[in-house]
Amino acid sequence: MLGAILLQATETTATTTAAQSVGAPVTAYWPVMIFFLVAIIFPVLPIVLGRFLRPMKYLKAKMRPYECGIDPETEAHDRFTVRYYIVAMLFLIFDVETIFLLPWAIIFMGDDFSFTKFALIEMFVFIAILIVGYYYAWRKGALEWA
Amino acid sequence: MFLSLAFQIAIPDPNVNVGLILPELIVGGVGVIVMLVDAFARPTQRWITGGLSLAGLGAAAAASVWMWLNWAGNPPRGFHDMIVLDELRLSFTLIFLFVSALTILISMVWVENEKLPAGEFHSLLLFATTGMMLMASGNDLVIIFLGLEILSIATYVMAGFRRTDLRSNESSLKYFILGSFSSAFLLYGIALIYGATTTTTGFPGTTNITAIAARLDIARYPALLFAGAAMMLVGFGFKIATAPFHVWTPDVYEGAPTPVTAFMAAGPKAAGFASFLRVFIFGFPFVAAAGWAAKANAAWVSAMIVLAIITMTVGNIVAIVQNNVKRMLAYSSIAHAGYALVGFIAAGAATDLDTRNSALAAVAFYMLTYSVMNLGAFAIVTLIARRNDRRTEVEDYNGIGFRAPALSFTLSIFLLSLLGLPLTAGFMGKVMVFSVALKEGFYALVVVAVLNTAVSAYYYLRLIIVMFFRERTTPWSAPRVPASVALAIIITVIGVFYLGLFPNKVIDAFQKKPVTAQALR
Amino acid sequence: MNAVPHLSWYLALSAVLFTIGVVGVIIKRNVISMFMCIELMLNAVNLTFVAFSSYFRDVTGQLFVFIVMTVAAAEAAVGLGIIIAIFRNRESLDVDDANVLKL
Repeated sequence: MLGAILLQATETTATTTAAQSVGAPVTAYWPVMIFFLVAIIFPVLPIVLGRFLRPMKYLKAKMRPYECGIDPETEAHDRFTVRYYIVAMLFLIFDVETIFLLPWAIIFMGDDFSFTKFALIEMFVFIAILIVGYYYAWRKGALEWA
Repeated sequence: MFLSLAFQIAIPDPNVNVGLILPELIVGGVGVIVMLVDAFARPTQRWITGGLSLAGLGAAAAASVWMWLNWAGNPPRGFHDMIVLDELRLSFTLIFLFVSALTILISMVWVENEKLPAGEFHSLLLFATTGMMLMASGNDLVIIFLGLEILSIATYVMAGFRRTDLRSNESSLKYFILGSFSSAFLLYGIALIYGATTTTTGFPGTTNITAIAARLDIARYPALLFAGAAMMLVGFGFKIATAPFHVWTPDVYEGAPTPVTAFMAAGPKAAGFASFLRVFIFGFPFVAAAGWAAKANAAWVSAMIVLAIITMTVGNIVAIVQNNVKRMLAYSSIAHAGYALVGFIAAGAATDLDTRNSALAAVAFYMLTYSVMNLGAFAIVTLIARRNDRRTEVEDYNGIGFRAPALSFTLSIFLLSLLGLPLTAGFMGKVMVFSVALKEGFYALVVVAVLNTAVSAYYYLRLIIVMFFRERTTPWSAPRVPASVALAIIITVIGVFYLGLFPNKVIDAFQKKPVTAQALR
Repeated sequence: MNAVPHLSWYLALSAVLFTIGVVGVIIKRNVISMFMCIELMLNAVNLTFVAFSSYFRDVTGQLFVFIVMTVAAAEAAVGLGIIIAIFRNRESLDVDDANVLKL
C-alpha cells in the first residue's frame, strides 16, 4: 500500500500535530489569517496615506519615463515571442518535478539506515533521468535564445 | 563513496522487488538511452535508434517470457502490492511489445522519408510502451493512472508528429483535449473509490485493487462506490473508444500519421482493455452473496452490455458511409472494441475461476488478433498513402488490385480477417470471445454481435471490390516496399494464419494456471 | 470551539468545481480556456483526495495528489507544445477553426 511507505513519517508527527490539525482547523489557521491581514494592510496603507499627503501638481515632464528611461515603442499588450513559451514549458516540467523531493525528504532520515541508502540511490536515479531530459533539451537547442 | 554505497545496496524491504518490473525497466531505460543516442548521433546514423529500440523490446520480451516460465504458485506481488505478476499482465505485456516492434518496423523508413526526427519518435514509442506495460502490471490505481498518463502524453506528441501538417496538429489537439478530459473522469472515479472504501471499522480508504474488492461489503459510502465506478467506466470508455465516448476516434485516427494510427489503434486500445479488465474484473468481482459487492458487479455488467451493443452497432453502421480508409478503419476499431467487450462482460459475470480465466484469455487473444491484422492493414495503408498521407480516400484504391497484386491481395487478407472469415485470426478471436459469452448465457448479446459482423461485411468487402473491380482513370504505379515494412507485412500475414489455424497454443499460454489457484475474491 | 466543516462540504465543493470544468470544456471554444477547465477538473479531484485523506488521516490520498500535480504539469507542457505547433500553422486558437477533419 502506498500509505505504508510514509507511515514512519506520520507516526512521528502525529502526536505533535493532532491537537491543532484535527480538533480545530479554523483556530489553527489564525496566525495565517493575521499574516494575510498584515500582508494586505502593509502595501495598501502607504498608498492610501500617500494619496492624502502628497502635493498634487501635474507637469508634462513628470509623466515621461523617469529621467534616464526611453519612450516605449509599442503597446505593452504585444504578442510574446514563442521562445517564452518554450522556456515556460521547460520551467514548468523541471519545477514541478521537484515536488517529489518533498515526500522523499520526509522519509529520508528514518531509523533504518539501509532504507536511507536505498532512498538516496533512488533519488539519484530520479535526478539522473531529469538531467538526461535537461541535456536533451539543451542539445536540441530548446534553450537557445537567439 | 557513492560507488561503495551502490555496491553494498541492501534492499531493506522485501516488497521492493526490482525483478518484478524488469520488462518495464528495460523498455524505459532503452527509451532514455535512445534519447541520448539521438542527441549525440550524427544525422547519418539515425537508423541506430530504430535498431536499439527493437533490441530493447526484444530484451523486454525475453524478460517477460523468462518471468512467465519461472512463475509458479500464487501471482507474485511486489512494491506493497502495487505490482502483480499474473497471466493477464504477461499476455498483454507480450502484445504491447509485439505491437511496438511492428510499429518500429513499419515506421523506420517512413520516418526517414518524411524527414522527421527518428530518435524522438522511437523514444516516445518506447515510453508509450512502458506506460502500457505499467497499465497491465499495476495492481493499484496509482500505477494504472501513472501508466495511462505515460502512455497518453507520449501518444499525444506522436499524433502531432508531423508538425507542419495541419491535419496532424488537429489530430493531436483533439486527442490531447479529449484524452485529458477522460483522464480527469478516471481520476475523479479513483478519488471517489478511495473515499468510498473507507470502512465502517475505521480503516482509511484504499486504491489497491485487491483491497477494494475485499472492502466492497464493508465500505462506508456505498453510494460513492457506484459513482466512482461509473466515472471510471466513462474514463476507460474514452480510452478504448466505446460509443458514446468514441467521437474523438475517427478524427484522431484520420489526422495522425498512418504508422502512428496503426500503433494507436492496436497498442493503447489493448492497454486500455488490460487496465479496464484489471480494475473491473478484480476490483468489482462477481460474488454470489447479496450485498454491495454483488450489486456493484451486477451494475457494471449491465452497463457494459449496453455499451457493448451501442459500440458495435455505431461502429459498424457509421463505418459503412466512410469514404476515407483511415476513418473507416477507425470506425472498424470502435466496432472491434465492442466485440472485445462481449468477452469482458463474460469475464465479469463468470461465477468460477476457470471460466473467468478463460474469458480473460479470450479477450487477450482477441486483442492480439486485432493488433496483428490491424497493424498489417495499416502497414499497407501507409505504403499506399505515400508522402504526407495524401492518398487515403477510397477512390485512391480504385483498380489498384491488378497493378500491385501482392499488396492488394495482402490487404484483402487483412480485411477479410477483420471481417472474421474462417481460417483467419479474426474468426478465431471472435469465436473465442463469443463462446465464453455463450457459456455465461449472454445469448442476445452474441446474436447482436454476429448480426454486426454481417453488417461489417459491407464495408470490408467494398474496399476489396474497389481494389479489384473498379476502373482507374488516373495513372498509378505501385509503391516501392521497403524491406522493414515487407518484414512487418510478412510477420502479420503469418500471424493471421497461425492464429487462425492453430490458436490453441497461444490460448493455453494466455491462461497458464498457477500451481495453487487464487481465490475468486 | 469552532465546528469542523463536515466532509460532505468538501466533496460538494469539489463536485461543483468538477462540473464547472466539464461544462467549460464542452462549451468553451478557445483551446486555452478548455485546457484551463481540464486543469480545474484535475484540481477538483485533488480536493476530493485531500479531503478524504485529511478526514480519515491517511497519506495515500495526499501522495496521489503529488502524482496528479506532476502529471498535470507534464500534460500542461505537452499541451502548450501542441498549441504552439497549431498556432504556428494557423493563426487561431478557436477550435471551431480546427475543421480540416470533419466530425
